[in-house]
Amino acid sequence: MRRNTALWLVGILAAVGLVAGIAWAQTPVAGGTIIFAAGADPDSLDPQNTQSNPGEQVNRMMYDNLVRFSTKMQIEPALAESWTQSKDGLTWTFKLRKGVKFHDGTAFDAKAVKYFFDRVLGDEKPFKASLYTPFVQGAQVVDDATIRVTLKQPFAAFLFRLAHSAGGIPSPAVHQKWGKDFALHPSGTGPFKFVEWVKGDRVVVERNDGYWGGRPLLDRVVVKTVKEDASRVLMLESGDADLILNIPPEDIPRLRKNAHFSVDSISTARALYVTINVKKKPFDDVRVRQALNYAVNREAIVKSLFQGNAEVISGIVAPLQNGYAKLPGYPFDPKKAKDLLAQAGVTSLKAKFWSPKGRYVKDFELAQAVQQDLSAVGVDAALSTMEWGAYLSATKTAPEQTDRELFLLGWSPSTGEAQWGMFPLLHSSQMAPKGDNRGFFSSKALDDALDRATSATSDQARLAALSEAQQVIIKEAPAIFLLSPNMVVGQTKKVHGVVNLPLELTYFTEKSWKEK
Amino acid sequence: MLAYVIRRLLLLVPVLVGVSVVSFALLQLVPGDPALILAGEEATEEVLTRIRQEYGLNRPLPVQFLAYLRHAVVGDLGVSIQSRQPVSTLLKQRFPFTLKLAFLAILVSAILGVVAGIIAATNRNSPLDIAALLGSLVGISLPIFWLGLLAILIFSVRLHWLPSGGSGSPAHLVMPALVLGAASSAVIARTTRASMLEVLRQDYVRTARAKGVSDRLVVYRHALGNAMIPILTVFGLEFGYNLGGAVLTETVFSLPGVGRLIVEGIFARDYPVVQGALLIVATTFVLVNLLTDVAYAYFDPRIRYS
Repeated sequence: MRRNTALWLVGILAAVGLVAGIAWAQTPVAGGTIIFAAGADPDSLDPQNTQSNPGEQVNRMMYDNLVRFSTKMQIEPALAESWTQSKDGLTWTFKLRKGVKFHDGTAFDAKAVKYFFDRVLGDEKPFKASLYTPFVQGAQVVDDATIRVTLKQPFAAFLFRLAHSAGGIPSPAVHQKWGKDFALHPSGTGPFKFVEWVKGDRVVVERNDGYWGGRPLLDRVVVKTVKEDASRVLMLESGDADLILNIPPEDIPRLRKNAHFSVDSISTARALYVTINVKKKPFDDVRVRQALNYAVNREAIVKSLFQGNAEVISGIVAPLQNGYAKLPGYPFDPKKAKDLLAQAGVTSLKAKFWSPKGRYVKDFELAQAVQQDLSAVGVDAALSTMEWGAYLSATKTAPEQTDRELFLLGWSPSTGEAQWGMFPLLHSSQMAPKGDNRGFFSSKALDDALDRATSATSDQARLAALSEAQQVIIKEAPAIFLLSPNMVVGQTKKVHGVVNLPLELTYFTEKSWKEK
Repeated sequence: MLAYVIRRLLLLVPVLVGVSVVSFALLQLVPGDPALILAGEEATEEVLTRIRQEYGLNRPLPVQFLAYLRHAVVGDLGVSIQSRQPVSTLLKQRFPFTLKLAFLAILVSAILGVVAGIIAATNRNSPLDIAALLGSLVGISLPIFWLGLLAILIFSVRLHWLPSGGSGSPAHLVMPALVLGAASSAVIARTTRASMLEVLRQDYVRTARAKGVSDRLVVYRHALGNAMIPILTVFGLEFGYNLGGAVLTETVFSLPGVGRLIVEGIFARDYPVVQGALLIVATTFVLVNLLTDVAYAYFDPRIRYS
C-alpha cells in the first residue's frame, strides 16, 4: 500500500492501542492484598468503645452505619436507604436496606438497629454512649425494614452522630455471645471481615463475599502499626507497604519525585489554634486577644513551615466541618496589633506559651513561628513544651490551679460538623476541668447561637445559627486562630479507590483495588 | 554450688517487691492521667469517671498497690488500660520475641566483638589493632536509631534483600539483630582486647610459648579462657540491657517487643503494663546475672561457691 496510508494506519493502530492500554490499566482487577502502615495501634475494634482514629479506620472497613459521610463530609445513605423527620423534630423514621447480612450470617434488620440503640442507652455504658444519650430517647421496631427513633429534644446534627464511627452497627448475636470480649471478635456488615488482631503489630481483614455493596475487589487488607515516621516512609519505598499515613513534610518532595508513588495532601476537618486563658490579665481584654491575632503571619507559616500542606482558617472551624461559614478573619497586620495593644494600655507583655511536641504535625515549630510573630509586636512569649500525657492534664485544670496563658491545641470534631467543632471548646457549660473549654471563655451571644444550632429543626436554621456562632467567635477572639493541617497519605500508584475522609481516617471499601 | 544457686533464686523475691514499689511510685509521681490519655480530647466527664472506676484509679494509692501485689503473686498482673487485654497475655506475646532478639544480638556481638578483640590484642599496635579500636569507637558512638534507618535504607529500599520492619519470619530479625549486636559488639571488643592483653602478659603464657605451644592454642585455649570473666560480665549486662532497653531498635523496625511496650506504656500512663513488664525484665535480669556468676565458676575453676 502507499506509504502515507501505511503511516496513517500505523498511527491509528498505535492510538487505539494506547487508549486500550490505558483503559486496560485502569480497569479494576479483583484480588490482591494491600498493606497499610499506620502510626498507632487500634485501641478497640468495638465501634461503641473505640476512642481513637486507628481503631476507627479499621472499624469503617468492618462495620456499616445507618448513614455515612461522603469524602466532602455530606451525609449519604448506607444501611438506611431513606429517612424522614417529624415536624417537631423529635421522631426520625429510617427505611432500612433489605437482604443485608452480618459477617456471622445473621440478618441485618430493624431489631439489630434497636439492639444498637438499646446498647448505647443502657447499663453497659460503652465509652461512646455520650454521643447519643443526651438526645436519644429510644428506638422502636416498626417492621423488619423500618425503625423509628425518638429524641428527647430536637437535635439538628443527629445524622452526623449516626455517621460517626461509633454508629457502626454490630451483630447482636456476636455481641451477646462475647460480651466484654466483643472488641476481640468484631462482627459487622462491612465489606471486610475480621481475621486477626496482633496487638501492637497488625490487624488483618479479608473480603466479605456477601457484601451488600457488591463483592469487594481486594482479597485482604493488612493494617500494620509502624510508629516511627521515617520507618513508614522507608516501608513504602521498599515495597513493604502499599499505603502509608502521616508523611513528614520533609519526605514529601522525595516521594513525589518517584514515579512509583503518589502523595496526596488532603484537607481535614481539624483546626489548630492557640487557646487564650481569658481569666488571666490582660487576656481578658478583647483588644489584646485581637492584637495577638493580627500579629501572626499565617500565610507565611503555611507556605514555609507546612510547604503548602495546610490551609489558613479565620476562626476555630475548619472548612471541611459541615456548617463552616466562610467569614473574614484577621489579616496579618503587625501595626494594627501594636495599636490595639497600646489602646489596651499594654506596652510590653510577657506571656507563658505552651505547646505539645509531636502530637500534631509540626506543632512545636508552629508554636515557635507564632512566638516569633508575637515578639515582633512586643509580646515576649516564653515557649515551653511537655510530654503529651502531661500536657493534656496540665491544660485541663481548673482556673485557680493553673498558670497557663497561651497554649497550642488542635480539635477535629469526630462528628464532622461545626456544632461539635465549637460547643465543647467554647460553650460556657463546658468549662475545664469537666469539659474542654480550657480557656474558660464565656459569651452569652455565643451560647445562644450554639444552643439554637443544636436544637434547630431545619438545616437552614442550623446553618444560620452556626454561622452566627462563628462570627461571634472571630470577633471575640478567644484563641489565636491559625490553620487546618492537611493529612498526607502516600501510596504506590498501583492502589486505587482509597477513601481519605477529612476526619483523618483512611480506609478501603469494596471498590478499592490494586493493580497486579 | 546448688545451695548457692537456690539462695540467689530466693533473693528474687525481695528484688521483685522492690522493683514493684519503685516502679509504682515513679509512675504515680509522673503528671498525667491515663483516663484522659485513653479517652482522648473529646472525652466527657462520664467516660473519664467510668474508666477510672473500671481500673480502680480512684482508690488511695496504698490500696491500689496492695491490691496489685495481691493479684501479682498469683500471676494476675492486671489489665492494660490502653488495650483492655490482660497484661500477662501481652507479655506472653511480646517477651519471647524480645528474648529471641536479645539472644541473637548477643550472638552477633559475641562473634564480632570477641574476634575483633582477640585480633586487636594479638596484633597490638598494628594497623589491625588501630582499625579495631577505631571501629569499636565508631560503633559505640553511632546512634542505634540512625544505624537502623541506614540499614533499612540500604538493605530494604535499595537492595530489597530484607523486609523493612515488622515481624513474622526469621528474615525480619536479621537487621535488628545486626544493628543491636553491632552496638554491643563495640563494647565487647574493647573489653576483650583489654582483658586479653592483661592475660597475654602473664607468666604462664610465656611458659606455654616457651614450651612450644602453637600461637593458636596459646590464645584460644590458655589465654581466652582466663580472659573470659570480664567479657562474661559485659555479656550479661548487654543481654540484660537488650531485654528492656532495645526500644529504639524496636521502634525503628516496628518490632513487637517489650522495650516498646514499656515506653509506650509510660507515655500512656498504662500502669499495669509498665509494672508487669518491669517485673518480667527484672526477673530475667536477675536470672542472667546468676547464669553469668555460675559461668565464672566454669571458666575459672578457682572460683568456688558455697
